[in-house]
Amino acid sequence: MTQPAAGVAEPPPSVISAAGVTKSWGTNVVFSDLTADVPRGVTGLLGSNGSGKTTLLGMLLGLHEPNSGALTVLGEDPAQAGGDLRQRIGYSPEHHNLPPDIAAHDLVRHVAVIHGLPKREATTRSSDALWLVGLGEERARPVGTMSTGQRQRVKLALAIAHDPALILLDEPTDGLDPVQRDGMLELIRRIGTEFGIDILLSSHLLEEVERIADNVVILNDGRVTASGRIDELRTGQGGMIAVIDNGVEGAIASMERRGLVIRAERDRLRIGGDLPPDKLADAVRDSIAENDATLRRLMPVQQTLEDLFLDEVYGE
Amino acid sequence: MTTQTEAEIFDRGYRRYDGERSGVGTAMRSVWLNSIQRALGLRRKFRFKIVPIVTILLAYIPALAFLGIAVILPSELVGETVDYAGYYGLISISTLLLTAFVGPELLSTDRRTGMFGLYMASPLTRTHYLTAKASALATVLFLVTLMPLLFLLLGYTFVGLGPEGFSNTMILLGRIIAGGLILSSFMTLLGMAAATLTNRQAFASAGIVMTLIASSVLANVMFEVAEVDDAVLLADLGNLPNDAIQRLFKTSEIIDVPSWQSLGALGGVLALLALIVIWGYQRMEVTK
Repeated sequence: MTQPAAGVAEPPPSVISAAGVTKSWGTNVVFSDLTADVPRGVTGLLGSNGSGKTTLLGMLLGLHEPNSGALTVLGEDPAQAGGDLRQRIGYSPEHHNLPPDIAAHDLVRHVAVIHGLPKREATTRSSDALWLVGLGEERARPVGTMSTGQRQRVKLALAIAHDPALILLDEPTDGLDPVQRDGMLELIRRIGTEFGIDILLSSHLLEEVERIADNVVILNDGRVTASGRIDELRTGQGGMIAVIDNGVEGAIASMERRGLVIRAERDRLRIGGDLPPDKLADAVRDSIAENDATLRRLMPVQQTLEDLFLDEVYGE
Repeated sequence: MTTQTEAEIFDRGYRRYDGERSGVGTAMRSVWLNSIQRALGLRRKFRFKIVPIVTILLAYIPALAFLGIAVILPSELVGETVDYAGYYGLISISTLLLTAFVGPELLSTDRRTGMFGLYMASPLTRTHYLTAKASALATVLFLVTLMPLLFLLLGYTFVGLGPEGFSNTMILLGRIIAGGLILSSFMTLLGMAAATLTNRQAFASAGIVMTLIASSVLANVMFEVAEVDDAVLLADLGNLPNDAIQRLFKTSEIIDVPSWQSLGALGGVLALLALIVIWGYQRMEVTK
């Protein structure tokens, strides 16, 4: 039986879409209301331990059904599409275990064949994938003789060899030293940008998600507490920084009357509040104009992903 | 060989694949083939080939001996020794050893090494996976439960000691195939059930052997000491498939009970073993 080629049809704008998804294991509620849209590109999936990252990956693969709500992956319901959808997904699990006595090339080729590639194509592509991840010279070696870093690369080759439209990576840098981690992150970024394969990267390391991801989804307490483009989230949530030369007291009083929260930091003011970013800037401008104060600089606060994560997860 | 720090990424580019993709049938065939290779130690170090080669050869030694005798002795003397049904007793050790070695190798290893998770992230479902694995284990077992008897039939036919006439040959061939299927099905499900219950290969292998020995001892002790009905011997699991095979070949049955009881007990045990496998795999977590 043959099926139409995967990769021919252009994936929809939202690679993953969840609306009101709930999931429980017995009495343990994992997701009470999971709502998010994951656009194309590289997306980081963040959450503290036990937040349901791995369960979500299982649901995206169609291995667990949601109790309620709508979930689509590449435009299809994973619980219904099942195997047809998984054929277009590459998955790299968190654990480091792989069959120790099988050559890397044999393992990657076998997994490519079960994802629907003809044997000859699978042979070529598994070899290419191993070259791509830097294991070309090592491809005939049994996986059990490889280091943790090399096994992580084998897992990445397993995920890309069959040319998926989407790759799910579960902690792909776990167990790597800093040099290996840099190489792996660079490779993942390249796969997501140059090769046009969308990536969902589950990690608890904020710095690496910030480094290679375009988008982020933050899970906490059974819900998505933040999602979207990282640069927009960092800019939009942190308020503004203003540097004012004279008329500072009057400007602060005007801002506080407008409901803004002011914190003086050396020669600058950190201004926050419940207003959206454009309204916040308008309120600051009007307060300064009212008091004939001199504004030298006004800029949005650039939060780090860590600030954002701590805000969303721990409310700090 | 390069070390990790010397590893270098060569840019061989990346090609999209726009060709056709095969379906689940091809994926199952690949798992089946890969499992047979693994069971027989193919594409693995020599030490992995020793057990399967020795156990399989053991099953052919009696056939070679019988055929050698057939060639040497006059046919009227040899004719009385031709006993296909009795051959199943000669291969019982090979069948047990091969099941104890291959069953856990095919299932427990996949779970311990994470291969099961990779399979479940592919188009395969648990049902596809278990079907492919059961087929692989049964195929390997056919090498000792079916092929030696076919070899014996072919050899006897070649030296003029085969069944008389085409229809008798077909009847005997059918019985040999059915006998191989009964024994392989039983041992396949026993091996898979034991391997479902533990990730440790050694424990699963010991479990297979101990289950057969313990059930035999228990059934025979109850029969001899408690002097209960012959039906208690149906609890001797190792004898269940052999008893069915003896009835198939119309020789004397091993357990003195009506056929419906013997076949019913065999069917019940097969169903129970299959349920253990299905139940175990249904509750097995994949993404963890």
